[in-house]
Amino acid sequence: MSTATTMVRPQETAATPAIEVRNLRRTFRIKGGLLGKDREVVAVDDVSFSVPTGGVLGVVGESGCGKSTLARVILNLLPPTSGEVLVEGRRLSALDRRARARLIQPIFQDPFSSLNPRRRIKDIVAMPLVAQGNIPARQVNDRVAEMLTRVGLSAEQGERFPAQLSGGQRQRVAIARALVLRPRIVICDEPTSALDVSVQAQILNLLAELRRELNLTYLFISHNLAVVEHVASEVAVMYLGRIVERAEADALFRAPRHPYTRALLASVLTPEPGLGVPDVGLGDTLPDPANIPPGCRFHPRCPVAEPRCAVQVPQAVATTDGAAECLLLEGAAQP
Amino acid sequence: MSGAVVMPARRRVAWGKRAGLVIGGVIVGAVLLVAILAPWITPHDPFVQNLDNRLSVPFWMEGAKPGHLLGTDGLGRDYLSRLIYGARISMLIGLLTVVTSGLIGTTLGVLGGFFGGKVDDAVLFAITCRLAIPVVLVALAVVGLLGSSLTLVILVLGLLLWDRFAVVARSTTMQVRNLDYVSAAWAAGLSTPAILLKEILPNIASHLAVVATLEMALAILLEAALSFLGLGVPPPLPSWGLMIAEGKDYMFFSPWVIFIPGVALFILVFGINLLGDGLRDLLGAGDTR
Repeated sequence: MSTATTMVRPQETAATPAIEVRNLRRTFRIKGGLLGKDREVVAVDDVSFSVPTGGVLGVVGESGCGKSTLARVILNLLPPTSGEVLVEGRRLSALDRRARARLIQPIFQDPFSSLNPRRRIKDIVAMPLVAQGNIPARQVNDRVAEMLTRVGLSAEQGERFPAQLSGGQRQRVAIARALVLRPRIVICDEPTSALDVSVQAQILNLLAELRRELNLTYLFISHNLAVVEHVASEVAVMYLGRIVERAEADALFRAPRHPYTRALLASVLTPEPGLGVPDVGLGDTLPDPANIPPGCRFHPRCPVAEPRCAVQVPQAVATTDGAAECLLLEGAAQP
Repeated sequence: MSGAVVMPARRRVAWGKRAGLVIGGVIVGAVLLVAILAPWITPHDPFVQNLDNRLSVPFWMEGAKPGHLLGTDGLGRDYLSRLIYGARISMLIGLLTVVTSGLIGTTLGVLGGFFGGKVDDAVLFAITCRLAIPVVLVALAVVGLLGSSLTLVILVLGLLLWDRFAVVARSTTMQVRNLDYVSAAWAAGLSTPAILLKEILPNIASHLAVVATLEMALAILLEAALSFLGLGVPPPLPSWGLMIAEGKDYMFFSPWVIFIPGVALFILVFGINLLGDGLRDLLGAGDTR
């Protein structure tokens, strides 16, 4: 395989993280109808983090917590309301589409909608190369063939259309398309949740191998905690658009600090059928991002909330290997 | 037990769909072929009059003359030859109108559906304005000002019949725009025109093909109506609508002069619609991802 990724760019020093997100915020305006007022939904609220080169940041949270919006804002598919994304010290919003494509690429959840049904596999994989506009056709073909082989597809499969491949094969195509430009960052938005369980492990292993080989940095978004525990070096827990806890993966799964993280970990189903569905004490209602509670945004569902939680907005508190936003952590009186 | 009852019924439905497609395709293909080959297959010159041989009857009636299979019209012109040349005009108008209006409507619809916001507002406004324009009145005004000609009919219809293309292109583009493969194309660094042409257009083309058949049938019928009113193709060009108009003076004693072009018109429009229905079923089934 090529070792082009070992090339050191001028901006790339030991101190520069591969990706840095600063105070990213994205809101949506929802029309209130004829008489109602417009409402503002805060999908991503002041999110900041950085990931070192070669790291994997897992982002977990319930449906509707803003995980996918975060992915789209980082990719600049949705412009951020405020804040910025830096890849190797360069602001993504200041780059043109070709330069941005060379730095950051997505892998989407559903391989049935992420591949154009009317194009051949080899053309789909070639798309990022062709979009660069200055790569000779022969080189495009060579790199596509190399990439298809690398993800475990044959040249013959390159001639087919997406409908003629299985879900796992389609996701391999999506991976090949994302990596053919040798990007620095890959945003994986639930890359295995649409796949059969038997195929998930293959795709995860492929992603891990490619990361080591190409020295990639992943942002790995998932609601599947087992998958995140397997792949991530660090984990960020999102709740209603904010990262409420962030820690090294081992530490987070061993000793979660935020009550929400604890509830999430407790909600994982055990393989023992007799134990039934665990009761995590979060209640039945899902949070509404258009109506974020005052004080700590988690307090209405928090099993250990105190009266002050409804008033005071928690600030991030440094923990041993990360940070968490919970009032009860301050002073370390309560674990 | 019940399977034995269900299976043949299911097969019959599938055959029915394909039968429509095949019959429609054969009709349209045959008319197109006849239209293209007109100069070589017509038995007589469609413009040559013979006043000694007026209103000769077609072959199935008593007293038919050999050499005039469908008889002659009120000026003694061979009716079969005029019918064949009429197919030329109908197909020409149908195809050119669909190309013109398809280009206009698809462009507007895709732009509106893709960009949304102000662009979409403008496209919607244009569609609303177009729907408020009565085609026949515009044709009347234009012909009154500029005189009737084949080019004018094609222009008037082509510039007015794009609304359905625009509506369908707009709504299908809106659906496709939000699919992940379009996002992936953005992230891959593709330019906006490339995304529109390579990612969006091929995936809405099947819907547009169905609209094209409907519009073609509509254009052919409208041309016939305009020609009947004297606003379409000018005589002596043999348009089917004009043939009906010219025949209406003789309809009580020689009904075939109206009957023959009427049936031709019906069969062609019927065939185009069958083709459209078949196309929709075929492509719709292929769309399942």
